[in-house]
Amino acid sequence: MAFGLGLDCMSIITIVALALLVMIAGGFYVGRSRAITAVEGATAGLHSLPNYHGYYVAIWTGVPAFFLLGLYAIFGGQLVDRLAVSELRAQAAEINRLLDDTLAADTDFIELNHAAENLRGRVDALNDEISALRNARGDNRDPDRLTRLRAEQIEALNLSTAAEDAVRARRQAVVAAVGADAVTDGASERALAGYELAQAPRERRQLFLSDSRRIASGELASRDSVALRAAAQAIAGYDRNVKIGAAVLALALGALGFGLTRARISSQFRARNNVERLVTAALLLSSVIAILTTVGIVLSLLFESLRFFASVPVLDFLFGLQWSPQIAIRADQVGQSGAFGAVPLFAGTAMITVIAMVVAVPIGLFSAIYLSEYAGPKFRQIAKPVLEILAGIPTVVYGFFALLAVGPAIRTLFTALGFESVVTQSALSAGLVMGVMIIPFISSLSDDVINAVPQSLRDGSFAMGATRSETITQIVMPAALPGIVGAILLAVSRAVGETMIVVMAAGQGANLTANPLESVTTITVQIVMLLTGDQEFDSPKTLSAFALGLVLFVLTLLMNVVALRVVQKYREKYD
Amino acid sequence: MHDAQTQPTVYHKNSLGGSDIKVEVRDVSVSYGEKQALFNVSLDIPDKSVTAFIGPSGCGKSTFLRCMNRMNDTIDGARVSGSLKIDGAEVNDRAVDPVVLRASVGMVFQKPNPFPKSIYDNVAYGPRIHGLASGRDELDAIVEQSLRKAGLWAEVSDRLQDPGTGLSGGQQQRLVIARAIAVNPEVILMDEPCSALDPIATAKIEDLIDELRENYCIIIVTHSMQQAARVSQMTAFFHMGSLIEVGPTEEIFTNPLESRTQDYITGRFG
Repeated sequence: MAFGLGLDCMSIITIVALALLVMIAGGFYVGRSRAITAVEGATAGLHSLPNYHGYYVAIWTGVPAFFLLGLYAIFGGQLVDRLAVSELRAQAAEINRLLDDTLAADTDFIELNHAAENLRGRVDALNDEISALRNARGDNRDPDRLTRLRAEQIEALNLSTAAEDAVRARRQAVVAAVGADAVTDGASERALAGYELAQAPRERRQLFLSDSRRIASGELASRDSVALRAAAQAIAGYDRNVKIGAAVLALALGALGFGLTRARISSQFRARNNVERLVTAALLLSSVIAILTTVGIVLSLLFESLRFFASVPVLDFLFGLQWSPQIAIRADQVGQSGAFGAVPLFAGTAMITVIAMVVAVPIGLFSAIYLSEYAGPKFRQIAKPVLEILAGIPTVVYGFFALLAVGPAIRTLFTALGFESVVTQSALSAGLVMGVMIIPFISSLSDDVINAVPQSLRDGSFAMGATRSETITQIVMPAALPGIVGAILLAVSRAVGETMIVVMAAGQGANLTANPLESVTTITVQIVMLLTGDQEFDSPKTLSAFALGLVLFVLTLLMNVVALRVVQKYREKYD
Repeated sequence: MHDAQTQPTVYHKNSLGGSDIKVEVRDVSVSYGEKQALFNVSLDIPDKSVTAFIGPSGCGKSTFLRCMNRMNDTIDGARVSGSLKIDGAEVNDRAVDPVVLRASVGMVFQKPNPFPKSIYDNVAYGPRIHGLASGRDELDAIVEQSLRKAGLWAEVSDRLQDPGTGLSGGQQQRLVIARAIAVNPEVILMDEPCSALDPIATAKIEDLIDELRENYCIIIVTHSMQQAARVSQMTAFFHMGSLIEVGPTEEIFTNPLESRTQDYITGRFG
C-alpha cells in the first residue's frame, strides 16, 4: 500500500515463473525438433530418441532457474533484512560516534559506571570469601561469620543492582539527548532509524524490524513512527531490488541453460544417457532428503532431551516411579521433586501393548492362515478386503468406540462379577480396542508372507502323506516365521506409538499398576498432554516431551534390531 | 471333443496284463475345470522296474503321474475318473485316505524342494508324521538307512544338522529321494527329477534310480529320450492327453509301431 510493494512486485516473480514454464515447454519442443532436423527426419539415425533431446533441453532450462527462485523464496527475506540493516547502520555511523564521544565526556555517566564497577568487585570478593568459608573444615569453620557475610552479600547485591539501573538510566538519557540533537541538526530519517535500531536492546531490535517490514508491505504494525517509516522505506527498496534481481537472474539462467543445451544437440549427442544421469541425480536427491530429515529429527530429539536431562537426571527420569510434571513446575523444585519418573508411563504403554497383542496376534495370525490355506477363492475374495477395511477406520473412531461402548461394557461386566469401583477408562478397554485395530496389520502382512512360501514345499509335504494342518505347522509356518515376526513387530511399534485410542479410552492418570481395570497413561498420551495448550518452551515440563519422544524412538529402534537378529537366527530359508 | 481325442493305444506284446503287475490303470481321464487333460488311459506298470513316461510338454504325463498318489486332489477343480489300482486296491475311491496312500506312494518333484529344515529333519519328516519310529535310535537308523540308499550318506553324515537347502542341486534332489524312501513306499513317482540338474548330478541320480529299482516300483516322467532309454525298462509315450504307445523300452526306441512315437523319438517334433 504505502510503498507500492506487495502485489505488483509479487507478480514479477509469478510472471517469471510462468515465463519459465513457457520456456520449458519451448525447450522441449525446440530440442526435439532440432534433433529431428539434425538427421533430416530419419530418427533411426539419432543416438537418442527425439523426446530425450527435448527432455534434456527442458530440464536444463527449467531446473536451475526454478532452483534459484526457490533459494529466493527461502532466503530472499533474510537477504533484504541484512541489506537494509547494514545500510541503516552505515547511515547512523556518525550519530553513533557522536554518542560514544558524548558518553566518554559525560562525568555523571563515568562516575556512575565507576561506582557500579566497585560494587561488582565487592560482590565478587564476598562470593569468594563465602565459598571459602563454606568449604572450610575443623577450626576454620565459623558459622556466625558466614551468616554475617551472607547478610553483607545480599546488601551489596542490592546496591550493585541499583547502581547498574542508574548507569542504564543515565545512558538512556544521553542516548535520547544525542538523538534529539541529531534531529535538530537535520540528520536524515534513515540515519535516525539506524540510530534507534543500533541503540535498542536485542528484543526491541526484532520488534523494530518486524514492524518496519509490516509497514513496508502495507500491513498493520504495532507502532508507527518516523524512524519506522524510514526503515520501512529502506526495506521496501531493497525488497524490490532483490526481487527484480532474482527475476532477471532466473530468466538469464533459463536462457543460458536453453542456449547451451540446444547447441549441444546433434545426431550423435547422448541425450538419453544424460537424461538418465539427471533422473539418477533426482532420485539420489530424494533419498538424501529423506535420510537427512530423519537424522535432523533424531538430532533435535537428542539435543532437546539433553537440555531436559540437564535439569532432571537421566536415572531419575528412567527409573523414577512418580510422574507429575505439573506439580514440579509449581514447586519450582524440579531436580529434587522426582516428579519426572517415567516408569508409570513405560508400564502403562507396555500393559496396553501387551493386551492389544494378546488380542491381535492370535486372531490376526489365525485368520491369515485360514484365508491363505483353507478358504475357498470366493470367501477369500470377500473376506480379505473386509478385513482391510478395519485398517482404514480412523483411530479416533476406535477411540470413541472404546470410550462409549467397550469401557462401560467392561465396567458393567466386572461390577457384576463383584469387582468394586471399576472405572470406565481402563487399560483393558484401550488395549482390547487397539488390538482390534491392529488385527488387519497382522493378518494382511502374514497372509502375504504365507502366500509367498513356495507351493513346491506344500506339495513336497503333501506327497509325504502329511495332512494340511501338519503341513501348515511344520512346513509353512516355520518358512514364513521371519515375515510373521516382522509383521508382529510392526504391529507392536504401531501399538506403542498409537495415541488417539489411549487418550480417549485409557484415562490420563499416571498410575503404576498391574491391574488392567485401572486407568493408566502411556508415553504418547503424555507427550500430547505436555505439548497441548499454552506452553513455556524452556521449562522441563515441555522438554520432557522430547525425552519421552527419544525413549519412544530408542524403544522402536531396539525392537527392530532385536527383530532382525531373531529373524536371521531362526530363519528357515527356502530356495 | 472326447471322441476326437480318444485313440486306441498301441500295446506291445506282454505290456498289458503281464505278470508281476504293481499298478493297473483302466480308462483314467482327468480334467481341470472345463479343460480335459487326460483321455482314457489304460496301462499296466510292473513292479521292481522303472517305467518312463515320455512325450512333449502338456501331453498329460505329469497329470497322469499325479493321479497315482492323488496329488490332483490338492488342485481346485480337478476331476479324475476311471480305475487305478495299486496291488489290486482302488486308489480313486472316496474311502481311500490320500494321506495314507501317499505314505506308500512317494513322489520326487522337478525342482528339488527340500524343506527349510536340517538334513536330518528333512529325512525324518515322514517317519515322524507317520509314527514309524519309536524312539530316537530307531529314527536315527531310518535316517541313516534312507540317506545310504539315496547315496548321500557319505557326503552329509558329518553335517546332518546343516540346513538341507544349503546342499547343491544334485544333493538336494538325492535328499528329497531319501526323504521319500524314509517312509518305505512301494511306488516312487519322479516328475522330471533331473531337469534342474547338471549332467554330473544327473548321472548320479540315474545310477541311484537304477539301484532303487531292485526294491521299488519306479515311475519317471522325463523329457530326455536318452534318460528314458538309459534308466527304464518300460516306456509309455503320451501325446495330447492320450497314451499313444506303450511297451518295453528297447522295442519302443528301436522299433516303434506308431509313426508319432517314431517322430518324437527321432526328434522330428516335440
